[in-house]
Amino acid sequence: MSSSLTLPAPGKAAGRNRRLLEILGGVAIAGTYLYLVLNQPADIVNGLSSGATLLALAGFLLGAVLLIVGVLPTLPTSTLVLLPVALVLNIVLGQFVGSTLVPFYLDAIGTVLIAALAGPAAGAATGALSSIVWSLFNPTVLPFAAGAALIGFLAGVAARYGAFRRFYFAPVAGFLTGIVAGVFSAPIAAFVYGGTSGLATGAVVSAFRAMGDSLLGAITKQALISDPMDKAIVFTIVAVLLYALPRRTTLRFPFISRFRVLAGTRGA
Amino acid sequence: MARLHPLTLLTAAVVPAVATLAIDRWPVSAVVLAVLVGLVAASGLGRTVLPAAAVVLAPLMLSLLLTHGFFFVEGQTVLWSAGPLHVTTEGLSFAADMGLRTAVFVVAFLAFSFSVQPADLLSVLTGLRVPPQFGFVLCSTLTLAPAITARARRISQAQQARGLVVGLGLPGRVRAVQQQAVPLVLALLHEAGSRAEFLEARGFGAPGPRSSYRLVPDSPGQRVFRWTALLLLVLFLVLWFGAVG
Repeated sequence: MSSSLTLPAPGKAAGRNRRLLEILGGVAIAGTYLYLVLNQPADIVNGLSSGATLLALAGFLLGAVLLIVGVLPTLPTSTLVLLPVALVLNIVLGQFVGSTLVPFYLDAIGTVLIAALAGPAAGAATGALSSIVWSLFNPTVLPFAAGAALIGFLAGVAARYGAFRRFYFAPVAGFLTGIVAGVFSAPIAAFVYGGTSGLATGAVVSAFRAMGDSLLGAITKQALISDPMDKAIVFTIVAVLLYALPRRTTLRFPFISRFRVLAGTRGA
Repeated sequence: MARLHPLTLLTAAVVPAVATLAIDRWPVSAVVLAVLVGLVAASGLGRTVLPAAAVVLAPLMLSLLLTHGFFFVEGQTVLWSAGPLHVTTEGLSFAADMGLRTAVFVVAFLAFSFSVQPADLLSVLTGLRVPPQFGFVLCSTLTLAPAITARARRISQAQQARGLVVGLGLPGRVRAVQQQAVPLVLALLHEAGSRAEFLEARGFGAPGPRSSYRLVPDSPGQRVFRWTALLLLVLFLVLWFGAVG
C-alpha cells in the first residue's frame, strides 16, 4: 500500500519515542519478574506480602500497556486489521478449552499466527492486547498479559530464524517457547491466585503438592508439563494454517518475504 | 440511571479490588464481596454480571479447594485425613483468602465491563491520547465475535452438506476440525485484507490527532468522586503498608 501524498509523513522523533516506549515496556516486565523471583517468600503459607503482589500486578500491567502504546501505531493497516481476528481466535478457543478437562490452554493461536506473519513486536502487542480485551469477559487473565506478550515476542523471533520453514521445527520451537512461558507465568499464578484457574491444571498441581512440593514448585512443574505441550500444539496448528494460506495473502506481509519465514517464499 | 463516565466506573471497580487485595484477609474479602454483589444486584446488572462471574470463578474455586483443601502439606491443624489427603485449617483458610480476594476482583471488573459503553470508553481513551488503533482493535473484536461464530456455523453446515461425517476416534475428529477451521481462518484473513484496503483509503493509517464526535457526559460531582476515591486509596495503601510492613 502506498503512503499518503497529502498527509505529512511521520517524523523521526515520533518513531524514536515509540521505540523508547517498547523498550520501557520490556524493562518494566523484566524488572517486575526479577523482583517477583528475588522476593519470593521461603514459606508460601504466609504468601507473598500483598504489597508485593500489588506491585507485581501494576508492573506487569504497565509493561503490557507501554508495549501496546509503543507498537500499535507502527503496525501497517494490513497487520492491524488481523489483530481483531487473532483476538477472537485466542479468546474463543481459550475460553472453550479452559472450560474442558484438558490441562492445556490453546489461547495463543491468534498471537502466534500474527507473530509469524508480522514479527516479534506485532506478536508481543497482540499477546498483551488479547489478555486485556479478554479480561473484559474474564478478569482473571489480566495479570498474564505480560506472559502473553512474551509468547508473542518469542514466536516472532522463532519465525524470523526459520522455525516455520520446516514442518518439524515448529513443534520444537513451540516446546522451547512453552518452557520459557511456563517459568514466566508460574510465579504469577502462584502469588496472585495461589493456584491455577482450571480444574485439570489444578489436579496436576495437587498431585505434585501431595508428593510434598512447595506451592511455587508444584505450579512451576505443572506449567512445565502443560505449557511446552500446549505451545508445541499451537505452533503446529499455526504452521498448518500458514501453509494452507494462499501465497498471495502471506506474501503481502513484508516480514514473511524479508526473513523467508515460510519455505519457498524468498522475497524479491 | 444516568449514564456514568467510564473513568468513574473504572475508579469504582479499581478501588475495592485493590483495597481487598492489599488487606488480604478472607473475612474482609467476604464482606466486600457481599456488598459488591448487593450493589450489582440493586443496579440491575445482576442478571448479566453474576452468571458471568460464576462461570469464571467456579473452576478457580474448585481448583483452589482441590489443591489447598486436600493437599496443604504445610498445614498443622489436621481436621480429617485419609491416605495422602489432609484437610487442614491452614489450607482451607489459604484457599478462602485467595479465592475470595479473586472473587472481589472478578465481580468488580465484570461489573465495570458490563456497565461501560465501548464507544464511550473509546472516546475517553482518545482524549487521553491512547493510539486510535487501540480503539479500532477493541471495538472490532467485540463486534467481530458474533459474526465469526455465525460464519463458523455456516462453514460447518456447508461441510456437512457436502457429506462431512465426524468420524469415530481421534483421527476422524481431528480431520473434522481441520475441515472446518482451515476455511474459517482463510476466509477471516482474506476479509481482513480487503478491510485493510477500505480503511487505508479512508486515511486510517494516517498520523496525527483524531477528533471524536461523541460527547461523553461528565459532571463535577463525578470528577470529585474519582479524585477523592483515588486519593483515599493511596492514603489507605500508604497507611496500611506502613503499619503492616
